[in-house]
Amino acid sequence: MRKALPKFGLNFFCLLVYIFLAAPIVVVLFSSLTTTEYIVFPPKGLTLRWYTELVNHPEFMQSFMLSIGVAFGTAIISTVIGTMSSIAVVRYQFRGKTAIMQLVGSPLLIPTVVFGVALLQFYSWIGLATSPAALVIGHIILTIPFVMRLVVASLVGFDRSIEQAAMNLGAGSMRVFFQITLPIIKSGVIAGAIFAFITSFDDLTVALFIVSTDVVTLPVRIFTYMQYQYDPIITSVSSIVILLTVVLMVVIERVLGVGKVFESKNE
Amino acid sequence: MQPETAYQEQELLFKQKKKNLSKKRMDYLLLLLPTLGIFIFFFLLPLFFLFITGFKTFDASSGVGNDWTLENYTKFLSDTFYLGVLWRTVKIALLTTLVAIVISFPVAYQITKANRRIKNYLTLIVLSPLLISMVIRCYGWVILLSNNGVVNNALLKFGWIDKPLTLLYTEFSVVIGMVHVLFPYMVLSIMGSLERIDPSVIRASQNLGASPIRTFFSIVLPLTLPGIFAGSVMVFSLGISSFVTPAILGGPQVKVMSFLTYEQVAVMLNWPYGSAIGFLLIFIATITIIIYSKLLTTSKKGVAIQ
Repeated sequence: MRKALPKFGLNFFCLLVYIFLAAPIVVVLFSSLTTTEYIVFPPKGLTLRWYTELVNHPEFMQSFMLSIGVAFGTAIISTVIGTMSSIAVVRYQFRGKTAIMQLVGSPLLIPTVVFGVALLQFYSWIGLATSPAALVIGHIILTIPFVMRLVVASLVGFDRSIEQAAMNLGAGSMRVFFQITLPIIKSGVIAGAIFAFITSFDDLTVALFIVSTDVVTLPVRIFTYMQYQYDPIITSVSSIVILLTVVLMVVIERVLGVGKVFESKNE
Repeated sequence: MQPETAYQEQELLFKQKKKNLSKKRMDYLLLLLPTLGIFIFFFLLPLFFLFITGFKTFDASSGVGNDWTLENYTKFLSDTFYLGVLWRTVKIALLTTLVAIVISFPVAYQITKANRRIKNYLTLIVLSPLLISMVIRCYGWVILLSNNGVVNNALLKFGWIDKPLTLLYTEFSVVIGMVHVLFPYMVLSIMGSLERIDPSVIRASQNLGASPIRTFFSIVLPLTLPGIFAGSVMVFSLGISSFVTPAILGGPQVKVMSFLTYEQVAVMLNWPYGSAIGFLLIFIATITIIIYSKLLTTSKKGVAIQ
């Protein structure tokens, strides 16, 4: 009895915390099914009307496709160049390595707003403002720290004698990389790519500064729509994004195991 | 004859090594080039230029001037309104950190005690918010906390209140939203410390007759302090610089430093002042990290002495 009570208390407290964590997400999902013209939870009646209504709002679809495109571009470029740099950092001895590591890690310390403002000013000076490419460059900088951390971690515990064996058997350095090195560090690289994708897809702060009327990513679209209207359209758009994220999470879990991905984000 | 061949062989080997070495030197530069290029041109350079802009004059009619001035910084540091915003930013981040510690510790404790399968599921539940779009999660809080929102409706129905409470666009809603966003970082950090505790230490304490509560307060809690500390620094520094949550759940009513920066640049078009506010924010965030690492090294020394 003396032991059971604290344990019950602990579990009850944790349950409350889990409800707190799930609440905003559950509320968005359920209120997208309401038949009313305004957002209400619990929803009144059940309808998929706000999903079909999306047909009348092509701008959301446009923004969604743009966000997907930008996130894909960011993930691919960030992963490729981040992996290259990770190899340089782990495998070679050179001066200034610590400085370089600090430089590529610093986007995590600089407030994103300040980086967004700096980028906007710079872009308007060099005349590169408001294009998807400009946004991808900004997102590459935000995501490189994650990619490099994950890839460096998988390179550090790497047994290089396998590579040596392949070289001795006459494989060229490119062939060694693609047939030996890459398959072994694969999980780190994939995790980095997924993280880059999610970070880019979720970014509001930098995108807010680099948008124009025809380059509006989904988070920015939702953010601006929300300030003027309060109808359930937003909840249906958001629900679609949530469901897609859940699918992506299941894929990550199957391929890598979630814990592993998060270890890097925490450090 | 033989020594000569050996010598030649050695020389050949040496030359080859040298060639490999110089090739390697080129390799790492090539590998680093794309990342470094992007970082120098699109990160360091823009930030440097923005820093410079912070020392330029500004006029509402003619825009950014060419003269140098310290006015942007002195204006901020001598105006009670702006200092109030700075204080609010720090206060919200501190409150967020405290609440995060209080609700994270039991969860981290429960997860580390659970068996492996349940542990994986719980970790997934705790961490999944990180993956779901921040804008959408904040939007969920808007639905929950608005005047005719879920929380107010429930309280009215139970008759606990007569008229809706103002929950949204207050410091309260910003702290709630930020705890929700930053909670996973704290849990992971505390879990890291809890997992490193040697179970034999806890058994020893129990064998010596300490009650579970005494064991918790004199053994478990002190040993997890480094994790709590590391998590706090992370939550605090992410908290003072976060933009999305205060912008959606606080808006112009609850201005924080990041929102002020945004407003000065995007609405007032006062770039120099926006820059000054932004760099003050960077300054505070950096100071926090420096104090933290200083404290960490001294506490490590303390542990070594023990």
